[in-house]
Amino acid sequence: MTNTRSPAGSAGLLAGGVALATLPLWVGDFYQLHLAQLIGVYWILIVGLNLVVGFTGQLSIGHVGLLAIGAYTFAFLAGTHELNPLFAIAIAGVIGGLCGLLLGLPSLRLPGFYFAMTTMAFSLIVTELTLAQDEITGGGIGLAVPGVSAPFDTPDGLYWLILIVGGLVTWLTWNVSRCMWGRSLIAIRDSEITAMAVGISLFRAKLIVFVFSGVTAGVAGALFASLQSYITPDTFVFELGLFFFVCIIIGGRGSILGPFIGTIILTALPELVAPLAKLGNFFYGLTLLAVVLLIPEGLQRLFEVLAEKLRPRRIESHVVTPDLTRLAAAIREGQSS
Amino acid sequence: MLLVIVSGLAVGALYAATALVYNVMFSTSKVLSVTTGHLCMLGGVFGAWLVSDLGVPSVLGLAGAALVGAAFGFLTEIVAIRRVLSRPVEHLWLLTTLAMATMVQQAVGLWWGTEPRPFPRLIPQDFSAGVMDQKYWLPIVTVIVMVLGLEFFYRRTMYGKVFVAMSEDVFAAQARGIATSRVRSLSYVIAGALGAVAGFAAGQLTFAFFAVGHGLTLYGFIALAAGGLGSNVGALVGGLALGLFSTFATYFFGGEYQQTIAVGLLIVVLLLKPEGIFGQRQVRAV
Amino acid sequence: MTALQVTDVTKSFGGLTALDQVSLELRPGEVHGLIGPNGSGKTTLLNLLSGYYEPTKGDIRLDGEDLSRTRVQHRARLGIARTFQKPRLLGTMTVLDNAMLGAWRDVGSNFLGTALSLGRTRREEREFARRAGELLMGVGLGHAVHRRADLLEHAEQRFLEIARALAMRPKFIMLDEPAGGLTALETEHLGRIIQVMRDAGLGVLLVEHHTDFVFRICDRVTTLDLGKVIKRGTPDEVRKDPEVIRVYLGA
Repeated sequence: MTNTRSPAGSAGLLAGGVALATLPLWVGDFYQLHLAQLIGVYWILIVGLNLVVGFTGQLSIGHVGLLAIGAYTFAFLAGTHELNPLFAIAIAGVIGGLCGLLLGLPSLRLPGFYFAMTTMAFSLIVTELTLAQDEITGGGIGLAVPGVSAPFDTPDGLYWLILIVGGLVTWLTWNVSRCMWGRSLIAIRDSEITAMAVGISLFRAKLIVFVFSGVTAGVAGALFASLQSYITPDTFVFELGLFFFVCIIIGGRGSILGPFIGTIILTALPELVAPLAKLGNFFYGLTLLAVVLLIPEGLQRLFEVLAEKLRPRRIESHVVTPDLTRLAAAIREGQSS
Repeated sequence: MLLVIVSGLAVGALYAATALVYNVMFSTSKVLSVTTGHLCMLGGVFGAWLVSDLGVPSVLGLAGAALVGAAFGFLTEIVAIRRVLSRPVEHLWLLTTLAMATMVQQAVGLWWGTEPRPFPRLIPQDFSAGVMDQKYWLPIVTVIVMVLGLEFFYRRTMYGKVFVAMSEDVFAAQARGIATSRVRSLSYVIAGALGAVAGFAAGQLTFAFFAVGHGLTLYGFIALAAGGLGSNVGALVGGLALGLFSTFATYFFGGEYQQTIAVGLLIVVLLLKPEGIFGQRQVRAV
Repeated sequence: MTALQVTDVTKSFGGLTALDQVSLELRPGEVHGLIGPNGSGKTTLLNLLSGYYEPTKGDIRLDGEDLSRTRVQHRARLGIARTFQKPRLLGTMTVLDNAMLGAWRDVGSNFLGTALSLGRTRREEREFARRAGELLMGVGLGHAVHRRADLLEHAEQRFLEIARALAMRPKFIMLDEPAGGLTALETEHLGRIIQVMRDAGLGVLLVEHHTDFVFRICDRVTTLDLGKVIKRGTPDEVRKDPEVIRVYLGA
């Protein structure tokens, strides 16, 4: 938020950016590139969901439904109807946003557990509908999905497309998070009473953010479908939605870097460590439980606390002494403007 | 048509039982546990394992299943509830119970396999009984016994009255010297046993399948939210109504849109009467 | 500027009447004290005024507009601010962020504009940060601007709540037991801050148990008991009223 970035932080950010941009040039093999693409696609969804879950505190566990909608929209438009793939990705985003609106309108007025259950139900409904509407979706058999058009039609190209989109949405949420909007979202998360007291319309703010997350989920779905090249309803199981949710909680609420690291770790670990893949969702459940019980504010806060331990700053007790002239001037300025 | 009604009531009985299990845990902790449906799953899977695989008599199979459910309920309270309720952050219990649910589902899937397996016949009966088949009336009888038992427990027994006192005001109960965390623990054990018994009784409907948990968590919740949170009568009515409603919807529109219709029903009820049909409106305090 | 007018307001919860035909007028440039025993309905009245409760009967008006059934947010935007008995700060954010939150009613950039970091958003951010910074200096929190709010001491939390309320550029500010838990010196500072608010033309409603403090700084005082107004008047009139002495002040 209003933290000024340290030079070390800027350098780290720059180095990370360069490493990501050149990844296809130094990565070991095709499989690792695919993993990087997958992380990127997940991140595009998670970065939007992060505003909903991490900032606004609305526990959506069913975003996989929006991912599926984006994926099928893309497969239907770019595959069945041979629309320009880039255009189809944009439409997938629009449809994702619309579905987010339709889901958010009734559900965001409900209290926490009710909302979570409604989003879970939404993801199950989407699965049911994709099975039932087999003329569009291919039913249980699924659909073949075309790749993206040139210059993104190679694996490296697709990676760069994902990187561009991912970078863009990350930049957007980063802007939101450090401004008044970000503060208002955290206020809704931590104290609705406070948020109301300063004049924030809770439902409106929740809905806007939810629609935004629908757009990123739709776009992510399109890229995901293209990456997978074949989709069936089984691709979009409820547990995948849970996975997105866990990435954010593990990373830390109200942070962007934390969930990013969470996404990388949770996507890559089971792929690289075979026994974890076998445990599958058990591993995600265990991680979620451990984080909530041991480091409830997530990885981000863990890093912060460690950093504070390394250079301890003493917080001296301080008698609050008002500066009345300054206060009077500040109040009068507010009255007159 | 009669078969549609009877099977609707049978499925509805399972939803109602799940809703009751929610209520038992909610009364002492104000937590809606995601593990609720998974308790029924445990009853089904362990019942099938004991009776079919190990050849244990039905009654012992039931007791064994109840024991497993109770143990998991106990574990849930210790791991996922106790430490979290003392924290100021809201809804942490949603995360921890979600984690527990995910873990138990996957663990059972790894051990039992991911294919649904048939649940054994509990009472000798051939398959020609139609609407009188045990797979329909077993869950119905079970949920009726559960409601009566719970009402008796709440009204006539000392421990039941303590539950009621805690559900009304935890701090007042604490002030009167009630060991609230022990009572809460007990309620999770009871809930676990009840859930497993319900899953056992309805095993022939759901099969012994590791993945029925999430669906039951959802459907039980729909029944509960529609009937009114905290009300056992509401849970029963809500569950039976939901069962009938979704069975009829399947009968008329085919099974393809069953969940869509059920969830649509929930949304309509919540928009019209957010506190549920038998629930009480809560006053917000600043 | 006209007053915030409460007329014959009754509030019942179920069968319990928390407020019974209470009237009160909060004028600009005046500190109005609200005292009474626990459970007399002080906080209920505050919640009615800020919109968390709806009155069962009666109305609340500002400039002729009936506010009694409008949302909390609407009243905040009209310039009615409040603090809470138990400070409600956002612990994970910095002190400056907390104070800036009060400027929400002045935010002109929408979500998309913010996401794209348009010039307007950046200008607004700088302006809000400057204003909030001035207010924080003013209430004496200049030393803690970048500290996480959950690391603040009790008095600092109370003063931060006041700064946040002032960042709303309110016409009226309602303080719910602001001196609770403060030392004598801190209460002294609080009194000065309240006087500065009054001199700047704000109407201040002060709910407080420290009666000495109330009688010292208020222009008018209303006393509630069991949901009814038993006495209103100048501090001197209220202090000497036999009924007030009987139910609240003691002999």
